[in-house]
Amino acid sequence: MLIQILNGLVYGGMLYIVSVGLVLIFGLRRVVNFAHGGLYMLGAYIGFAAGLYFGFWGGLVVALVLMALLGVLLDYGVFRPLQDKDHMTTVLVTFGILLVMEDMVHMIWGADTISVAMPALFDGTVDISGSPFPIYRLLVIAVAIVVVLGLTLWLRHSRAGLYVRASSVDALTTGMQGVDTERLSLAVVGLGTALAGLSGVIASPLMALSPAMGSSVLIESFIVVVIGGLGSFSGAFFAALVIGQVHNLGIVYLPNVSSMLPLLLMVVVLILKPSGFARSH
Amino acid sequence: MTLLELEKVQSSYGSVRVLHDVSLRVAKGERVALVGRNGVGKTTVVNTLIGAARLNAGRVAFAGKSQSPIRPYHAARSGISIVPQGRRIVPGLTVRENLLLGSAPDRPGPWNLESIFGMYPILRERADGLGTAMSGGQQQMLAIGRALMANPDLLILDEPSEGLAPVVVDELGASLVRLAERGTAILLIEQNFGLIRSVGDRYYVMSKGSVVEQGRLAELSAEDLKRHVSV
Repeated sequence: MLIQILNGLVYGGMLYIVSVGLVLIFGLRRVVNFAHGGLYMLGAYIGFAAGLYFGFWGGLVVALVLMALLGVLLDYGVFRPLQDKDHMTTVLVTFGILLVMEDMVHMIWGADTISVAMPALFDGTVDISGSPFPIYRLLVIAVAIVVVLGLTLWLRHSRAGLYVRASSVDALTTGMQGVDTERLSLAVVGLGTALAGLSGVIASPLMALSPAMGSSVLIESFIVVVIGGLGSFSGAFFAALVIGQVHNLGIVYLPNVSSMLPLLLMVVVLILKPSGFARSH
Repeated sequence: MTLLELEKVQSSYGSVRVLHDVSLRVAKGERVALVGRNGVGKTTVVNTLIGAARLNAGRVAFAGKSQSPIRPYHAARSGISIVPQGRRIVPGLTVRENLLLGSAPDRPGPWNLESIFGMYPILRERADGLGTAMSGGQQQMLAIGRALMANPDLLILDEPSEGLAPVVVDELGASLVRLAERGTAILLIEQNFGLIRSVGDRYYVMSKGSVVEQGRLAELSAEDLKRHVSV
């Protein structure tokens, strides 16, 4: 059971890193970004391709940098013009970008799945309650904890974090205080897409790469964001932990209905608490 | 030195033009009132200064520098702080965080957390509580404190007496006079007769999107002022 809970933490941790990027982008731009799953997938492929030359960790750095730059371009070229459009336009455009990214990856790397080797330093197991548990999975949990703590400290105790929280609630008033919210948004969307890329790269040794991998994570990421409360960083954290456990324990104990459990949970939460786990930013 | 200058300004929301011909100026250390009935375009003047209403024609200058296009952060960075109508305290932020938000322009000057707390002690008592949880009068103090954190040369207040009890309005007027005496210029957009009288020195009257009259408040009879601001 402990092993299953740890596996749930691994999945929940990866889900949190993807989802918090969605939360950041929604908060600053009010754009529901359907392309986010594609960014996760693209990050994984870029990390894989760069890893062939620079090793796993070098590939991770390259993926983070390129994904952050892509985020800046997306914010400037897509999200900024979309922020005053209706939600349907936003959904159609960002979903179209997801399809374009999937086709591009299909053209470059093919439709076959690709396996990524574990980084040598973490390619082993440790004994937990008499069962072997991969060290790499513990690393994924550690990375998620670092991201949670790092983002929390940044948002709660830095000036930029204060501006991000203020702007995600009231961008005009934040701007009136002298904050260039457009430039802030460029940086935050860059951070959000880099986090999607980070999640893709660290997930790649655990699951086969395929052009469709982004679509599946996208659905569960949206469930996390909705259950957590739209725009809530702390809500996304708790929701990712819950969905991670539901996803993993469902696969083990209720395999026939495991894929619908997160959706059922979302329906229950929305009926009981439509605003999600947390309402604050 | 002219801190704010509007010259034949026309501005609109979408295709609806609201300001037709607005010219006004506020110089360093001045106390100016912009008055007029409901719906004549006073708040649109403020919205034009932050880019929330589109500037179609004319010229807006902050501290002598023409602004086009106007972004929300331009005024604060030019030494012009705005206390908006409805106060717009940012939800989810504490009193202290709302104040710190105001220091974004990083302008040197006498105002910081301690001096704001000294002027409005209630803000120190409530510093770690949510800004939106305070009473209307306390939120108005917070909005003014937040604007002062930028150490502005000019403070623009849009209907600051709205929703406040008469005794709180009197305290507000006294604190604005103290600010003016310390050298901060004030542009007061108001309909409260007493507040205009206690704070203002010069005045502009707006009607149907245009400035139609200006002068010194001391030379304006009480009856005429009431006529300009009555609904």
